[in-house]
Order: sequence, then C-alpha cells, then structure tokens
Amino acid sequence: MLFHIDFKTGKPAYLQLVDQVRYAAASGALRAGDSLPSIRPLAEELRVNRNTVAKAYAELESQGVIETIPGKGCFLKDGNTPFTKPVRQKLLLKEIDEAVVTAHHLQVDRSDFLALVKERLDYFESKKERP
Amino acid sequence: MNTNPVIEIKDLHRRYGKLEAVNGLGLSVQPGRCYGFFGRNGAGKTTTIKCLLNLLRPTSGSVRVFGLDPQQNEVGVKSRLAYVPDAVAFYPWMTVRDTLDYLASFRASWNRDMENDLLGRFGLNESQKASDLSKGQKTQLALIGAICPEPELLVLDEPTSGLDPIVRREFIQTVIGAYQSGDAEKRTVFVSTHLISEFEGLIDEFTIIEQGRELLTMESDAARERFKKIRARFTQPPASLQAPGALQVRQEGREVEILANGNSEELVAWLQNLHPEDLRAESLSLEEIFVASKALAGSKP
Repeated sequence: MLFHIDFKTGKPAYLQLVDQVRYAAASGALRAGDSLPSIRPLAEELRVNRNTVAKAYAELESQGVIETIPGKGCFLKDGNTPFTKPVRQKLLLKEIDEAVVTAHHLQVDRSDFLALVKERLDYFESKKERP
Repeated sequence: MNTNPVIEIKDLHRRYGKLEAVNGLGLSVQPGRCYGFFGRNGAGKTTTIKCLLNLLRPTSGSVRVFGLDPQQNEVGVKSRLAYVPDAVAFYPWMTVRDTLDYLASFRASWNRDMENDLLGRFGLNESQKASDLSKGQKTQLALIGAICPEPELLVLDEPTSGLDPIVRREFIQTVIGAYQSGDAEKRTVFVSTHLISEFEGLIDEFTIIEQGRELLTMESDAARERFKKIRARFTQPPASLQAPGALQVRQEGREVEILANGNSEELVAWLQNLHPEDLRAESLSLEEIFVASKALAGSKP
C-alpha cells in the first residue's frame, strides 16, 4: 500500500500512518495476512524519522490491527480486536463526537449527517465485498 | 526520562573581538533524537557547532557532549561523533578509496558493508581522485565517511546547501536508512540547516537561534499543533476583524488569513459565526515557523 504524509494537517505523522493503515483495513485495500512495508524502506521513502514509523506500527499493534512476527515483519490481523464491546464503543464515541462537532460547524443538519453516515457505511461494505 | 543528554549547552558565550557571536545560548539534546538547529546566516549556528567539536573555545559558559567537556576530553568526544561541515575538503591527491581508508584509520570500527552499499548507491568510483569530484560527490563521500564508523552522534552543518534536489533527497534518505539503522538510543542527529522543509519529517525537536540567543525551542509535532494558519473568504469584504487572541491578521479584500497560536479551534468557531464562503485551517510548516519565529517567540498559547 502507498502511504502519504501531509504536515499541514497538524496531525502527528505517526498518527497519519496509523489512520491510513486502519482506513486501508476497513476499506479492504489491506486484507488479513497482508504484509506492511518494513520500517526502513518506508521511512526512507516518506523521508520521515524511523522512530515515526516504528511508533505508528507499535500503536497499530497495541490496537490489535497488526501483528509483528519476529524476523518476518508486520502483518494485518483479522478483524478481531482484543477490546471488549463497551471499550470498542467508547473508542468510537470519541470519533463520532468529533464528526458531530464538525458537522455542526459546517451546518450539516441531523438528517443529512445520518444519511452521510449510512452512505459511507455502504461505501466501505461495497468495497470490501468486491473480490 | 532518566537519560543523560547527548549535547548540553548552558549559557554559552563566544566573542569574536567585540562581536558576540553566541550570547547566552542554552539547549539540550536527548539521545536518539533528530534535533534541528535553525537560524539565519550569522545567527551563531556554526560557532556553536565548532564549540561542540572543540574547534573553538567558548568565551564562557559550558558545553558538554556525552557528558564530557570537549576541551578536556577531545578524543573521548570526537571518537563517538561524526561531523559533516557545509564545505567539505579532502586531500586532492587521494582517491575515494584512499580517503575512506584514511578516515577509517582514525576509527575504532568501520562498517565495510555499509561503505560498499553507499558507494554503490551514490555511484562513486573508488579510483577517482578527490580533487575531481563534484560538490555533490564530495558531500556524498563525507557522508559515507561520517556514517561508516557508526557514531552515536551525527553533527550536520548545512549539509545539503548547494546540492541539487536529487542529491539532497538521497542525502536525507541515507541519514534515515543507513545511519538510523542501528540501536535508536545511539543514533542522535544534530542538524543545522536553512533547507528546513527537506528535513521536516526527520526533525523531532528544534531550536531557533537569533543573534546568538535561543528564540524558540519546541517539539515539531507540538509546534505544528500550536501554530496554524486559518484562511477565510467572505462574500463581502468584512469590516475590520478583531480576531480574539490571533497572533497576526492579514486581510486582502474578501480574504482573511489569521495566525493562530494554540487557539485555532476557537478562532475557527469564531470565524464560522461570520458565515464565510470558505474556511480552512492548516498547520505552519517548520519553515514557516522559522520565518515567523520573531512574532511567535515569547507569545503564550
């Protein structure tokens, strides 16, 4: 998969990598068992500190998105997260709240917001179903 | 963290006659970091670096590298670091091979595999005379000479100035790929540069120096989080904007640009209430932070 870092977003580079892997996993661009690029070539290509990539992979591992097999590299895990359902929901709530606040500022009303959420869910599902 | 800094500078002064080149500078670099040292020409960067290497003696104040005083323990310090200056010079009669062997003879260890790898990568011919190398090739040779001993500290003084963009890019990729390949705690980089945007992804923390004094020291992520540029466009030119807590406001017709200092969310919300046609916020790059550093320094978030 191809990564991209944009320093103008203000989001730390390692979190951008985390988000991109999570997005790729959710959209089916990365499947369980797929390997992630190793740290050195990825850091060189993006011209970021190696610690940045290492930190992103460590974060993804602690979130249960990827696993490191010593001597082989990092691989995407299947969808099972180590968190319980209430914890998972709580993690999601934070993200939803952010979207709700943004929607408020952009004057997107309740029904449009819900319609957009549904549209995105359909979008990701349709992408995943494709063989 | 209970780690000793790799570089610690306290109240450093260095005078040239009446000129205070460095005037009370202090900074501290933790192991494993890539530390940016930014300043205009004549701000005192090279003078500071020369004090680290005992090429110059401080007028007053203290400099410690690996906890050692470079004046008292020059070999102890220099055996653990490597330095790439802005203008590299080699003995003109030596070939690339001779030069590397000569450099290696001063070092306790020398990574031959890395040397081969980098010679191939840069396409340097070992039998070429150093005097026939281009500026870019000389810098590449200096970088190989700096990285192969696998020093704990790599000091780079304007390493990429005057190089073409491809050589600059390779230089940075080599620092990331080859130099950072060892134990992360023992791979500290201290880099002074004007070409800040090229090192943006590498730099964890930076100090901006002006007239020999520290102007601003921050972690890169924290700086990009704190300093943001908000642009708004209105249907009608707005009446004079008194943006609360803005560091700087520029207005040109219907367009407004506001510099936020840790309060970008409040400022975005405040602008939203004025119903702009378009509204976007982005972080300042490290280069923009450097350019605006006079306005930014001393401001409170």
